[in-house]
Amino acid sequence: MTAFARIRFAALLLMLFGLATAPVLAQKLGPDGAPNPTASVTNQKTLLEQAPRTQGRIDIPDVKASVLMQPAGRTWDYFHEVLLHWGGAVVIVGMLAVLALAYLIMGRLRIEAGRSGQTIVRFKAFERFAHWLTAVSFVLLGLTGLNITFGKVLLRPLVGPDLFSDISQIAKYVHNFTSFAFVAGLVLITVLFFRDNLFKQVDIDWVKQGGGFIKSKHAPAGRFNLGEKMVYWLSVAAGLLVSASGFVLLFPFYGTNIADMQIAQVAHAVIAILFIALILGHIYIGTLGMEGAFEAMGTGEVDINWAREHHDRWLAEKLEAEGRQASATPAE
Amino acid sequence: MLIRKSERRPERARLFDAAADEASAKLDRRTFLKRSGVTAGALAAVGELALHSVRKAEAGPPPPVGATVTTRKNVCTHCSVGCSVIAKVANGVWIGQEPDYDSPINRGSHCCKGAAVRDDVLNERRLRYPVKLVNGQWTRISWEKAIDEIGDKLLDIRQKAGPDSVYWLGSAKFTNEAAYLNRKLAAFWGTNNSDHQARICHSTTVTGVANTWGYGAMTNSYNDIRNAKTILLMGGNPAEAHPVSLQHILEGKELNRANMIVVDPRMTRTAAHATEYVRVRPGTHIATIYGMLWHIFENGWEDKEFLAQRVYGLDEVRKQVAKWPPKEVERVTGLPEAQVKHVAELFAKQRPSTLIWAMGQTQFTTGTSNVRASCLLLLATGNMGLPGAGANIFRGHTNVQGATDLGLDVTSLPLYYGLAEEAWRHWCRVWEVDYDWMKSRFPDKKLMETPGIPSTRWFDATLLPKNQISQPNPVQAMFIMGHGVNTITRMPEAVKGIEKLELLVVCDPYPTAWSVLSERKNGTYLLPACTSFEMEGSRTNSNRSLQWGEKIVEPVFESKNDYDTMYLFARKFGFADLMFKNIKVENGAVSADDILREINRGGWSTGYCGQSPERLKAHMRNQHKFDLVTLRAPKDDPEVGGDYYGLPWPCWGTPEYRHPGTPILYNTNLPVKEGGGTFRARFGVERVVKRKVMENGQEVEREDHDNLLAEGSYSVGSEIKDGYPEFTLGVLKKLGWDKDLTAQERETIERINPADPDKVSWSTDLSGGIQRVAIEHGCSPYGNAKARMIAWNLPDPVPVHREPIYTPRPDLVADYPTLPDAKQFRVPNIGFSVQKAAVDRAISKQFPLILSSGRLVEYEGGGEETRSNRWLAELKQHMYVEINPADAAERGIVDGGWVWVTGAENSSRARMKAQVTERVGKGVAWMPFHFAGWYEGADLRAKYPTGADPIVLGESVNTLTTYGYDPATGMQEPKATLCQIRAA
Amino acid sequence: MARMKFLCDADRCIDCNACVTACKNENEVPWGINRRRVVTINDGKPGERSVSMACMHCTDAPCASVCPVKCIYPTEDGIVLHDKDLCIGCGYCFYACPFGAPQYPQVGNFGSRGKMDKCTYCAGGGGPEAPGSAEEYAKYGSNRFGEGKLPMCAEMCSTKSLLAGDGDIIAQIYEERVEKRGYGSGAWGWTTAYHEDVKS
Repeated sequence: MTAFARIRFAALLLMLFGLATAPVLAQKLGPDGAPNPTASVTNQKTLLEQAPRTQGRIDIPDVKASVLMQPAGRTWDYFHEVLLHWGGAVVIVGMLAVLALAYLIMGRLRIEAGRSGQTIVRFKAFERFAHWLTAVSFVLLGLTGLNITFGKVLLRPLVGPDLFSDISQIAKYVHNFTSFAFVAGLVLITVLFFRDNLFKQVDIDWVKQGGGFIKSKHAPAGRFNLGEKMVYWLSVAAGLLVSASGFVLLFPFYGTNIADMQIAQVAHAVIAILFIALILGHIYIGTLGMEGAFEAMGTGEVDINWAREHHDRWLAEKLEAEGRQASATPAE
Repeated sequence: MLIRKSERRPERARLFDAAADEASAKLDRRTFLKRSGVTAGALAAVGELALHSVRKAEAGPPPPVGATVTTRKNVCTHCSVGCSVIAKVANGVWIGQEPDYDSPINRGSHCCKGAAVRDDVLNERRLRYPVKLVNGQWTRISWEKAIDEIGDKLLDIRQKAGPDSVYWLGSAKFTNEAAYLNRKLAAFWGTNNSDHQARICHSTTVTGVANTWGYGAMTNSYNDIRNAKTILLMGGNPAEAHPVSLQHILEGKELNRANMIVVDPRMTRTAAHATEYVRVRPGTHIATIYGMLWHIFENGWEDKEFLAQRVYGLDEVRKQVAKWPPKEVERVTGLPEAQVKHVAELFAKQRPSTLIWAMGQTQFTTGTSNVRASCLLLLATGNMGLPGAGANIFRGHTNVQGATDLGLDVTSLPLYYGLAEEAWRHWCRVWEVDYDWMKSRFPDKKLMETPGIPSTRWFDATLLPKNQISQPNPVQAMFIMGHGVNTITRMPEAVKGIEKLELLVVCDPYPTAWSVLSERKNGTYLLPACTSFEMEGSRTNSNRSLQWGEKIVEPVFESKNDYDTMYLFARKFGFADLMFKNIKVENGAVSADDILREINRGGWSTGYCGQSPERLKAHMRNQHKFDLVTLRAPKDDPEVGGDYYGLPWPCWGTPEYRHPGTPILYNTNLPVKEGGGTFRARFGVERVVKRKVMENGQEVEREDHDNLLAEGSYSVGSEIKDGYPEFTLGVLKKLGWDKDLTAQERETIERINPADPDKVSWSTDLSGGIQRVAIEHGCSPYGNAKARMIAWNLPDPVPVHREPIYTPRPDLVADYPTLPDAKQFRVPNIGFSVQKAAVDRAISKQFPLILSSGRLVEYEGGGEETRSNRWLAELKQHMYVEINPADAAERGIVDGGWVWVTGAENSSRARMKAQVTERVGKGVAWMPFHFAGWYEGADLRAKYPTGADPIVLGESVNTLTTYGYDPATGMQEPKATLCQIRAA
Repeated sequence: MARMKFLCDADRCIDCNACVTACKNENEVPWGINRRRVVTINDGKPGERSVSMACMHCTDAPCASVCPVKCIYPTEDGIVLHDKDLCIGCGYCFYACPFGAPQYPQVGNFGSRGKMDKCTYCAGGGGPEAPGSAEEYAKYGSNRFGEGKLPMCAEMCSTKSLLAGDGDIIAQIYEERVEKRGYGSGAWGWTTAYHEDVKS
């Protein structure tokens, strides 16, 4: 993943550029020992070599205006227009390609035992609400976010500059305001599913058994298998980072400077792209990739056979708690 | 040609129009007429200023369809450089400015103030109509009612307490004509209590410099600084106070690779461009100059020929300078020998050298002596009367030079004639009024000839017991036209003074701090004056050039111009017909041209006689013809041929004589007729001094008759090849030149003094004949004398270093005390007692920081106008104090944090922000003086008339400043006092 | 074709802010929007220099490059204009701008930005409005350039520090100045803005 390496490199570069220091002053004295202000002046080139961001005093209350020059803007431009475009495209298109390939090779993972006709509640209404709140806002954020980066390449030629601007203007507001819904959803998800996503012994077995991808083996799992746990933890982490950087961007220059803003934007963009790739995988497995999975978040109830195949220990616990015996017979 | 647009297709698919823009545009879209209509409370606070997408400009370019755009030229009102402003006007609305590249003074340039003057006129925060306080509430009244009520009250006070109980405080922002009219009004009213801002800016310069070589003004010009090899700035920060002058200074510095030395307590924006910066302690100017002179005399760097021919009193100066060896200089100023010597050597040897100063020399109890010391340095090094040399004294306001010239001064009638009977008789002849009638306006002849109360002391003259004031009664009414209250020191006492007044009238485009400082409930009137952009008239810039300003737009709202306002009051007082005898008044509109013509008819002493309105207007039309460096137009030009730009005074003779003006004073390298001159013979032809000398081993007293006239020096083309006295008819007769007078001239002269026509002089001859004849013979009408190094009529004939009243060095007070207490200008000056008490009470321990004050580039004067200007106010939104990082660290003060500053008198205190900067040295705090509207921590915004509060308010530095007055002029001491600062 | 540029001779700049108010006056720029500003480096110390800065109208302008709606573009004179009808106020141009030029009126709550505003070189706007029209003035300000005039900030500069016009000519003026006076702190921002430098 060289693109990622380059992005990291660029981000690092920006961070370094952010470290503007007060320009070093070599004061020159006259023959009598009094300062010679004219001769003491440092050439602007030297100043930029000493600190890539030149900052001084300004009397208007706009603090960011005190930065006179920051050539790092051009570096950020390079990141945004070259690294991010190509990197983002590679990651997202690459992910789609991987999923397409998976579908072609493995096809849809069926419920091996067929549907039992009996269902069991997997997600309560509130849990589903939390998921869909996050999911819908994520999709909105993702699409509007992608529009900011790729819209001018993909959409603008199709709809023309004016319509594209209007769409983007709406998209901007949608992106800004949906962020609050997303954060709310994220918090809910994090809390609701926290306990069931803690790593357990069974996760090791799950890996050893091929994570359900090897048809001959049965991979044991609790309410969430290791794959789902990974999605959970990565989402929580990415969500946290993308939200944090997002709010820095939403409240520009509130205690941040130009370098902070650039770093926040780089972080936001990079994490969002990776996040999108992750969620694409999540969506695939939850819909097209696996029979019976979508119902979990759709109706909240899953077929017992599906549960047995993918979350045997959870099913067992669940049934035990409910005090009922699951029938192994197929529905028909 | 420019191809600006992108490849936008005509058909535009849109989801919505730029609706957000429309909404906010509608909100702000008020026509100018509607805006200028009298609607109260337009913009109450900064927070309400439109911050929406794009603000529709009501008055900006382009002009409305079908409107014709005319351009009018006026002069920026914000400093003495005199930058031309070109205004574009459409439908009577000022829609934009253009750079005036033709002006030889500013060549299109402006500072932030000049580039923003359009908002001085368009400003929504101007006072819209006359108001008066009724039980603490501002109430709208009509002009007629205002004139009536104020007039009745003034006449009542005049009746009860005498004319001297009304104080006429005029303005440096007046045009020449308004300043003259204001002085004339005070004369007709019967008082010499007529003053203006020059008191607190360059009164000490005028007195000190005039007492040295004749005239108290800048000797060269801004443009002429381009010729200098060494530019020494002591006590001035023109980069902020006179920004456009830096165009000439820096270009001169670059082209000549000139030395530019800044001696200042602060590393100012000017110092940033210097080739040498010397940091001094405030209030040690004389010690510094003597330190330089010590090296100059020690090494023989002085200009011996110049001193022998054109300077009187060198020996006395040598004696004084001998007391200042390098060690003593270092003890007092803190400057090491090497620096003082180096600066002295550059100044004396790399000539021509010019000395530039402003308030950094003048605003001290030793102000007059400070500028005198500067003159001594210039004389000793022969840097006078030459291009590139001279005393380049930067005046403050637009027309502070003109207003000073035209006698808004407690010590003189217009044009420095003084107050003696002869002066009154001269002006009575010009005004065509009877001298005895004029005398009857005053309580007595003595008060008529006694200087009035300086503006710095108006509140003392209000508050002090009657027996301490040398006039019949204390001041009971202040009539202020264009003068702030916050620029005068000791504000806590001014507040008490305002409260004690029976009547307070403020005639100004803005309400000013006068209106909000006190707890007055009644007896207060605010009259809306228009700005100088809304009236005709001339202004004299610092280099003595007069520039005519055209009326750009009609006065906005209900404001009136100064002429018309004064006419209305003269009419109310019953002497309008007499006062405006030779001035045309049509439907209440006074002719500015006629006022200038009257000034021309009386302005012989200072050469204000040749600048007719016609000539000045021709100069404004032909600006592009004047040379950038010499300021002269080609001789063959039909309209302005051979003239210097603005006919810098003295412009001798009648306008028809076409004297070109004098760009450099006392320049003997040019014939007088071409703008040359000599030092003025103002102090007699000889001085009788008793000296003790050793004769035959015995000390005897000998009476010397020192020659005060020049010796062997004269201007080019002079028929008298030596010094000569000032010209009178008698002198002309002795020379046999009286036959050159025309019959008409001789007749006028004889009419002036029928008893003894020989006594009629160049300055009282209303025909201009004596001047003409003298000049035709190559002579200066005012004589050819030596400059005086010793000015025996001043409190300190030779400058003496004296510590500020509140000095951080009490140890030096024993050696260098201020002058003894005395009564000056009708009030006591108890500086000595105050200084002694401060030393005895160890005030400098309690208040260890030196407090100095000065100017910001964005604001001017009291700041009411500029702090209301939306483009300027944004740039400096807070009052602040500059404090050195070391002092700040000791006190836990951070940059941008709030602090309380306490002053050494009146338990005064002020709350402001701290600016922690190395610009000031350790132990020094500095504040801008333009702020008002907060007082001791309280925000007074609610007390302004609705909608007329300036955008930016803040504490005034003068809340903290203290006692201290120059004995020769009554100048205050805001540049050196003491304070303490703590984090708030 | 002349390539328009700005050059601030910091050895002449005295922080008088004439450029700032000239801009405000000429273009009726509202409070809080600072198309041009003056920053002082090493404030209060010998060696202090003030520099007037606004949009430099860069070569390969990074703002134009990053704009997600492509509303910023250079004219044939090298002036970087933008179309407010298209601008969505995203703020990216500020991150990309090496000179802090883009300004945004605050609309609504928190950091929500309105349409970007910046120095137009007094050349009107990049939108469809007719040059010199009232509509153009309302959105972008003055169109002096169309009348053959230079930006007001440079025209009114108190010390002729701020130079505007054909880049080759102003570079030459600056080089001559440096040669005459013997010092010069350089053409501030030129390497970043124009990928070239002048002798100093």
